[in-house]
Amino acid sequence: MTAPPGIERVLFTEEQVNQRIQEVAAEISAKYQGRDLKLIAVLKGAVFFMTALARAIEIPLKIDFLAISSFGGGGPGMVRIAKDLDHPIQDEDILLVEDIVDTGFTTRYLLQTLAGREPRSLGICTLLDRTARRIVQVPVDYRCFEIPDRFVVGCGLDHKQRYRNLGYIAVMNPDAGD
Amino acid sequence: MAILTTSGAPASRFEEVAHAASQLLGFELVTESRLSQWMMEEFGETPVPDRAWRPAAVSILARLAVEHHLVICLWGAESLFPPSPFTLRAGIVASDARRIGNVMLDQRLDQRLDQRMQRSEAKAALARMDREAKHLHKVRLGRTRPQPDSFDVLLNIEHMDASQMAAVLEAAAAARQLREQGLLAADAEARIQFETRLKLARYGIVPAGHARLKRAAFNHPSEEVFANLLDFYRIPWEYEPRSFPLQWDKDGRVTEAFTPDFYLPEFDLYVELTTMKQTLVTRKNRKIKLLRAVYPHINIQVFYQKDFQDLVFKHGLKEAVR
Repeated sequence: MTAPPGIERVLFTEEQVNQRIQEVAAEISAKYQGRDLKLIAVLKGAVFFMTALARAIEIPLKIDFLAISSFGGGGPGMVRIAKDLDHPIQDEDILLVEDIVDTGFTTRYLLQTLAGREPRSLGICTLLDRTARRIVQVPVDYRCFEIPDRFVVGCGLDHKQRYRNLGYIAVMNPDAGD
Repeated sequence: MAILTTSGAPASRFEEVAHAASQLLGFELVTESRLSQWMMEEFGETPVPDRAWRPAAVSILARLAVEHHLVICLWGAESLFPPSPFTLRAGIVASDARRIGNVMLDQRLDQRLDQRMQRSEAKAALARMDREAKHLHKVRLGRTRPQPDSFDVLLNIEHMDASQMAAVLEAAAAARQLREQGLLAADAEARIQFETRLKLARYGIVPAGHARLKRAAFNHPSEEVFANLLDFYRIPWEYEPRSFPLQWDKDGRVTEAFTPDFYLPEFDLYVELTTMKQTLVTRKNRKIKLLRAVYPHINIQVFYQKDFQDLVFKHGLKEAVR
């Protein structure tokens, strides 16, 4: 696939992404050995990472998905579950899989929502962690990459719903990407 | 006036319900921190004695109610005003197991997996919070816990989230025709002020009439978008609630001060947005550096123009905020 307009540079190549996912998956496999692990991905961005991660984890696991409403800019309006989990998570070891943890707003809401359903444990695994932009502190247990304060696309991350399917992660100038 | 009071036990998340309800109803949200700020404006830096807290709070809230409908989110809020056609008193209840879970979650928001609070620790922490709440009820309101008949509506958080409970309260407010009661009439406010002044006089306190609700008149469209973003994620905020003196002249007069854009009481965090020219960002960065030096205990996070642009791109927001 040719580089889309607006791509400034590749931040992590496909090989680097795959290598790092393997490493994190190995950590998760060791940590959750003998436990009842369920990965929960937030639609849509985390789907690509979730799929790669699940395939690399070497212990039996379950998966589920949820989606939340998007911020529209103008008020009023509140975040809500747009697509709920298919099954309860009570007494299960839950790993929330995110494409990126940024301000922490979304992750905090999801943690609060999931914690109320009484899982045995609740952890966070993210492909990208942009700590420079964090406002709400959330406990990230597994991260593949910490990234600089730049706009990125690829591996599930989009610009106006495009470029999620890039196998690499790239810095983009969104002004030039229209 | 229309008043919705929302209260509950510690860690029952009644604050989230109040926040969501204030958004749905379009009422002004009164929180403990906002009321504390108004108390300071009204009565000065000397804390109001606990026994005078109730008339002091009623005096301020009655003044606000002349111009605004209110959602009052405080421990003991249900006993501030007597039952009437213009009040709806909601209590949020939660099982101990749920509240312990909430304490664990709140703790874990800034803890790593291996450092997190255990259930036994959370249970002990909740017991401490309950004791503090009982003490506060006792000294402020003369009893240790609210009675069930202090509430018009009791909601259980077990199977409803904050937005669902807010929707129930919106429906209850509509059924009671709360809004149709209108704002507090001036003569009714004068009567309340007379009564509260008599009570406050016992403690040598005279309301100064200074505390006013400052409408958030945002200086930049981006600040309004950020406020909407916080509302969207149900994060309570205050706009420019406090100025920090940074430099003084030889006579002790403040020559330079800094007022962060937002304060997030839940995280004890100030947030400053910079969506202006780079030259002004440099000046602002200097002020923030000075703020951190003079007030090392203050937590402040800067949200830069670039961050905001990404937010705009991510959510496809209007060009006007860029």
